[in-house]
Amino acid sequence: MKTLRKTWPFHVMLLPSMIFLLLFSYIPMGGIVMAFQDYKAWRGFTGSEWVGLENFRYLFERQDSIQVIWNTLIIAVLKLIFNLFVPFVFALLLNEIRKVRLQRTIQTMVYLPHFLSWVILGGILIDLLATDGFVNRILSSFGVQPIFFLGDNDWFRFTVIVSDVWKEFGYNTIIFLAALAGINPALYEAAEMDGASRFRQTLHITIPSIVPIAAVVGTLALGNVLNAGFDQIFNLYNPLVYEKGDIIDTFVYRTAILNGEMGFGTAIGLFKSVISMVLILLSYRAAYKWANYRIF
Amino acid sequence: MGIKKTAAVLLTTVLTAATLAACGGGAGSNSNSASATTENAYKEKYDPPVTISTVWGIDPSLKFKNGESAENNVATKWAKDKFGIDIKSLWSVTDTNGAFATKMRLSMSSGQDMPDVVTIGDTDAQLAQDLIDSGIYSEVGPLFDKYASDTWKAAMAEDPNVWNPYIREGKKMGIPVLDYAYNHDYVLWIRQDWLDKLNMKAPTTMDELEKVMDAFKTKNPDGLSPDKVIPLSIGFKNSMNTWMGDPSWIFGAYGTLPQQWNKSADGTLQYGSIQPGMKQGLSKIKEWFDKGYIPKEAALWDENKTSEPAVAGTAGILPGPYWMSGWPLQDTVKNAPGAVWKPIAIPAGPDGKAMRHGTATTNGVTLINKNMKNPEAFFTYQNYMFDHLANPKADSEFDNGLFKGYDYDLDASGKVMPIDKIPGGYVNSVRYLLVRDGARIPNAQMDALLKLADGAKPETRLERDIANNYGPLTPEAAKVLMSQKDSSYPNMFTGPTTQSMKTKMDYLNKIESQAFNEIIYGKSPVDSFDTFVQTWKSSGGDDVTKEVNDWYSSIQK
Repeated sequence: MKTLRKTWPFHVMLLPSMIFLLLFSYIPMGGIVMAFQDYKAWRGFTGSEWVGLENFRYLFERQDSIQVIWNTLIIAVLKLIFNLFVPFVFALLLNEIRKVRLQRTIQTMVYLPHFLSWVILGGILIDLLATDGFVNRILSSFGVQPIFFLGDNDWFRFTVIVSDVWKEFGYNTIIFLAALAGINPALYEAAEMDGASRFRQTLHITIPSIVPIAAVVGTLALGNVLNAGFDQIFNLYNPLVYEKGDIIDTFVYRTAILNGEMGFGTAIGLFKSVISMVLILLSYRAAYKWANYRIF
Repeated sequence: MGIKKTAAVLLTTVLTAATLAACGGGAGSNSNSASATTENAYKEKYDPPVTISTVWGIDPSLKFKNGESAENNVATKWAKDKFGIDIKSLWSVTDTNGAFATKMRLSMSSGQDMPDVVTIGDTDAQLAQDLIDSGIYSEVGPLFDKYASDTWKAAMAEDPNVWNPYIREGKKMGIPVLDYAYNHDYVLWIRQDWLDKLNMKAPTTMDELEKVMDAFKTKNPDGLSPDKVIPLSIGFKNSMNTWMGDPSWIFGAYGTLPQQWNKSADGTLQYGSIQPGMKQGLSKIKEWFDKGYIPKEAALWDENKTSEPAVAGTAGILPGPYWMSGWPLQDTVKNAPGAVWKPIAIPAGPDGKAMRHGTATTNGVTLINKNMKNPEAFFTYQNYMFDHLANPKADSEFDNGLFKGYDYDLDASGKVMPIDKIPGGYVNSVRYLLVRDGARIPNAQMDALLKLADGAKPETRLERDIANNYGPLTPEAAKVLMSQKDSSYPNMFTGPTTQSMKTKMDYLNKIESQAFNEIIYGKSPVDSFDTFVQTWKSSGGDDVTKEVNDWYSSIQK
């Protein structure tokens, strides 16, 4: 009680954001009931017909729903892995550059693509990756047959993942660079004193110091495991690659948004949230157990 | 803790509370449109004035001047003076990202006052259907028959199908907003300079078309190497039935149009994509694809992309609407000096048949509230628009435009000045009117174009407008378009989405585009079309067909 008297102004300061959280994050959760209704806007939550698990049944009854979920998982997981791994390695390499100006320049250049929208990038990629486009002309000078990157089921996922990593790795590197900057220089000095080579220093000081950060980034990213990137897929996919490229979000866009089937859209949203929550909880445990790191 | 700090904290809290309160209130109890009017029959001018309440979704590019707003502007003042009609806004919203539809749905579900008259555009077609089903809006058929003027009735009668989407159990529940006819019908645009240099004639059959495409590719008059030329620029990323770069006429030559409901010989509706003609069309496109007549990336190309090679001067033929000589084709000469595009008719198939998809002549619907006190007032207003604005005679009130000082102005000598010289800037004040675009008579635009194509001088406002604002070849293209009037087949299903469509149609569309693209790209044999048709039917297509025909027979009564 005594502490409360002292700290009440801080509680009051917290109040607005708590109210906002309640108002915009918790109360709207009531809308989840839509997932179990044939929701009609003019009848509202109370008047719409209850359909039980009907909306979920549609999701799993479609002949292609397993394929779509599978596509989503594969694309999202591969993106997750490479978006963790590539920036990690890149940050280590960049950190070894001793010329600060060069380091900064490279850093800026690689994170610029992050700011391009997929609508624009989609148009550029379609041109660059065309069978007579820039990339294929380079490949053909090495004697490679033209590859139909965006229209071939064998290549589509590869193209999607590589282009996503290319777009995002610079941005994701920032966090790791920040973590690297936070390592105590005394550790390196001590290691040098003991005659450790640069490689040894990296292996035994740098990497262990940023593994916890990698664990956090990875854990937070796991929440997105059913988000394979609507903007990107929507701008790049086409009927030729539906088999390997159609994901939950593009599917929702076509069925729920275009047709105004809010109940169905909510059901899929709920399904995704539940899976994401389970994954976050699991990875939280894993991070605690193996990296001895508590996030919350 | 200092007093300053405490004050700051308190201030923050108070401000937040105030913001929240502002969010919560606002909407709600402002209206109650009960003006003390007695039962009013149709009048040219109402005295005492009557009220029409409405709501506005404001196009973000629409400007206001002289401190006006959607609620209160030159058009509302005009309506008050002219007809004694008070146009009262319940609310207005800038219509970005579907804000209008969202607000409309919200006010519907939260039980707020609904407007007397509201116009819903085609982009929100589902909303219009939902509003009709909500039971808030009244049957309009009898009102229209009783109050609409002859001009309006004649315009509405040009295409009797316009009512179809809004019929429930034989009752007309919404007044279609008419648009110009044939707007999305298409012609083939061809490089006439290439034809001339090759000494060839414009193709009229598929066989001739193939010869022309082959010549464009192998003996290109501009000296382009064969792999640089795209003889026919089409794309089907989104659909086989679209606008620019549309491939549907290729199937039309074999008697069907994909992705729409066509009338069959026995009078029922059948889905175009599963008809036998598709198979022939697909094998034709595949053949053209193998020969390099169409873009290698056609499956990845959307409509705008198909215009790129055309504008770059490397494409020979581009299907598209009649107005394309303005945008985008006008820019071709910058890249290929001497390029000349000409509109030609859709070539006929082996048995002399040509088909293209038609255009719906509506772009929305106007709904009238059940509780509206004076529905006839709306007709007073709209009749005047059809009689005086839609296609005004040379001496009409709106001959120069709608409102002086807004969408037109006169200089000292009484001549119309260029719109960029209007003091205070041009505003598209047609958008201030109760119904979007004021009033359009479907055939008026084509009639005007045909008149201009025959060399007549532009006289009426519509004719002058077309002559000044459209591409130079538009009248000629319109003539080509109209010469094939009987080949235009609009989608015959315009009703609300049926139950099986909601759950099945996306999957059916998906397997359809997958099957078609794989055939064209040679990943599956042409015969896999038959398997596709079987799957389509058994995966819900038969149910959809049945529901579509139930709807169709319900509106025939």
